Amino acid sequence: MSETFIVRLRFSRQEPAIWLAHLDMMRTFERSIRRAGLPICWSQGYNPRPQMTFALPISVGLATAGDYLDMSLAEDLDPYEVMDRLNHSLPTGFAILDAIRVAPAKASLMSLVRAAEYRLETPGLAEAVARIANTQPLVVEKFSKGKMVEVDIRPLIEKIQLKGPDCLEMRVKAGSSANLRPDLFLKALETYGDLPAAAAADCAATRLALILDSASPASDSQ
Amino acid sequence: MSTVNLPRHLLASVEKPARYTGGEWNSIVKTVPEAAEQALRPFLRYAFCFPDTYEIGMSNLALRILYHLLNERPDVWCERVFAPWTDMADRMRSEGLPLFSLESRTPLHEFDLLGFTLQYELAFTTVLEMLDLGRVPLYTADRTLADPFVMAGGPVVYNIEPMADFFDLVIIGEGEEVLAEVVECYLHWKASGETRTREGFLQAAAQIEGVYVPSFYTVTYQSDGTIQTIEPNRSGIPATIRKRIVFDLDQAYFPTRSIVPNTEIVHDRIFLELFRGCTRGCRFCQAGMIYRPVREKKPSALVSQALEMEKTTGYDEVGMLSLSTSDYSALSELTDGLLCELTPHHTSLSLPSLRLDNFSLELMEKASSTRKGGLTFAPEAGTQRLRDVINKNITEEDLLKAMELALRGGWSGAKLYFMLGLPTETIEDVEGIAHLAQAIEKLYQSLPRFERPKRLELSLSTAMFIPKPFTPFQWSPQADTETMKSHQMHLKDLLRHSRSVRYKWHEPKQSYIEGVLARGDRRLGVVIEAAYRGGARFDAWDEQFKIDLWLDCLKQAGLDPNFYARRERTRQEIFPWSHIDCGVTEDFLWSEYQRAMAAQTTPECREQCSACGAQCFGGGVCYE
Repeated sequence: MSETFIVRLRFSRQEPAIWLAHLDMMRTFERSIRRAGLPICWSQGYNPRPQMTFALPISVGLATAGDYLDMSLAEDLDPYEVMDRLNHSLPTGFAILDAIRVAPAKASLMSLVRAAEYRLETPGLAEAVARIANTQPLVVEKFSKGKMVEVDIRPLIEKIQLKGPDCLEMRVKAGSSANLRPDLFLKALETYGDLPAAAAADCAATRLALILDSASPASDSQ
Repeated sequence: MSTVNLPRHLLASVEKPARYTGGEWNSIVKTVPEAAEQALRPFLRYAFCFPDTYEIGMSNLALRILYHLLNERPDVWCERVFAPWTDMADRMRSEGLPLFSLESRTPLHEFDLLGFTLQYELAFTTVLEMLDLGRVPLYTADRTLADPFVMAGGPVVYNIEPMADFFDLVIIGEGEEVLAEVVECYLHWKASGETRTREGFLQAAAQIEGVYVPSFYTVTYQSDGTIQTIEPNRSGIPATIRKRIVFDLDQAYFPTRSIVPNTEIVHDRIFLELFRGCTRGCRFCQAGMIYRPVREKKPSALVSQALEMEKTTGYDEVGMLSLSTSDYSALSELTDGLLCELTPHHTSLSLPSLRLDNFSLELMEKASSTRKGGLTFAPEAGTQRLRDVINKNITEEDLLKAMELALRGGWSGAKLYFMLGLPTETIEDVEGIAHLAQAIEKLYQSLPRFERPKRLELSLSTAMFIPKPFTPFQWSPQADTETMKSHQMHLKDLLRHSRSVRYKWHEPKQSYIEGVLARGDRRLGVVIEAAYRGGARFDAWDEQFKIDLWLDCLKQAGLDPNFYARRERTRQEIFPWSHIDCGVTEDFLWSEYQRAMAAQTTPECREQCSACGAQCFGGGVCYE
């Protein structure tokens, strides 16, 4: 097989793109890459797909200020050229913020994700957080593999920082082995912290950053 | 101008919120000039309205073409409005939000012109839902200068009479040229200042060929309920309205910077329009009559459009749209050209349904060199006699020959489409459908093991035949629901031992109401409104359709659905659509009806001209 070159992109998504399902977002990136005329590598097999990997799925309604995407290219392009060309081809709401070369590694991008930082904004957040400060454990129901299961989300929360009465930032476990989604955290605030259901439903959530394994070169800026 | 704010909880609580949020690649956002500037140079805000979901509406070619055509003008901004699915519509109602456009989230009632495209009659109640949610008065008579003008176009408008009270103006035929004239007329009227009236614009628009203003015509009825007269009620209004068509499709506008949806739609690929019209003359097919004469695009133009669109959209699949794509005279040249150019970019070609009689192994092999699409055959009827009645000139031998090629070529099956309830249908014709399927099974078994797929999979479906205006069967009664139900059950029973056949059918109750609306008159307007008020919307969706509600509303209005659906008309009868002229003459349609009853076929246009009347347009296949 011929040589491939991996470019890791850090990207953001804002309104209206936050309403895309993850699969829609993947398709949107594939088409944007084709419009940008980038020499993307294609998978082998009956139904070849452009080779790109997202670090972590982004749920419908979630904004991000710094998610990662790896793409395999057949040519050794300047990462900034890749970034620039893609920024001229992405639909409203998406932007590439940074691009670096990474060496082809055995570990997939997805397996490097350790934690994520989120910002949540909705009325009454600080009060609700205060009410759950001593709740141990924080058990919520979650739909997983076709059935409802109970999970204690307390161990998944690394840090919560209040930014005002209606805003908080938190760092939680993320990745394929342990992952806390903001909607589940909001459910805990509703259940144990009396956060009104309407406030939870209107909560704006942004993933501020993904924390990758420190061994990964993505944490160094170029 | 205002903007509708969509709260997070609303979007988070509905299915597929990306349907409502816009922002797609190649969608167009413009700056609206200030009111003061507009006093000098008028600006037109146009809402292209599609009365079904985003996924279906975005797959519509008319929308794709007209959206970009209108937006080419600096003094027009065309935006898109789709019907919100029931979950979204109900939430919008409870939160007091009006229906809005995708591009700027402007409420529908703030637009100047609303253009609905109507692809099926069962979308009528959804049109009312959109107007109502958009805060536009439903009836033309109730609209004032502050309200938009509401237009309709598309195949259904050849008989728009049931909706006549809701549309201010209707465009008959292909929109590219006539829409530009309507826009020009509107801007001129808007510039006329304070003295302008709605009547003034409609009067001016009615002078444009192909524009029909329903309120300018009075319909009178005889005591038996049939129409006595349809006449203009103002001077200077034409007695008949002739459809508009575009001649040189190579020169006609075709957008290459097409919108790329953010969420998956039904036809999620590059569209190529090979030609308009169809030469076949199947007697049940309205499209085959109203789009005459056939006009083709050159293959070289299509290949360059495909390449251009590949660059501007990023799509990795090209599809072909036309009524009977395999009739395209340069199909082989086109597919060769496309495959040669597209394959190196990992772009595949999806072949559409192919006709049996010109089906070729070569074409199939070409398709399989990219992705093996499904095969679709539409014999439509089960016996040769009935196929002669409908002028579907296909034989059982054609079907078996094509199936043998397909099976040897590695396809494991095909979709087979039939209709139930065709004029003169007997139980033998229904049994003929099962026999055809069983003949294919026998053929499969007769092939050597190494030359056939492991399994045979046939998907057989039946739809209900509905007589439509401007077809030879416009005089014909529609079959009754009970008989159709029993025919369906009989067919299902006959196929119970055919393990390779999966049988699907279409609900006859829905077809009954579609039949009523298709050949309906203006008296049905109140019925449609009552059905809408009673909760009818998205009637084309099985799970949304409420037959009892429709029957109740018809009863309340004192109208008998069988008068519309199940009555055989006489040659003399004036139809609700008699003042519309699609080129094909009533004499031709009547002679085709008589030939049908005698099971006589009529050759297609390219074999021999049958003088249908479409020659009057002065171009296309008639002059090749």
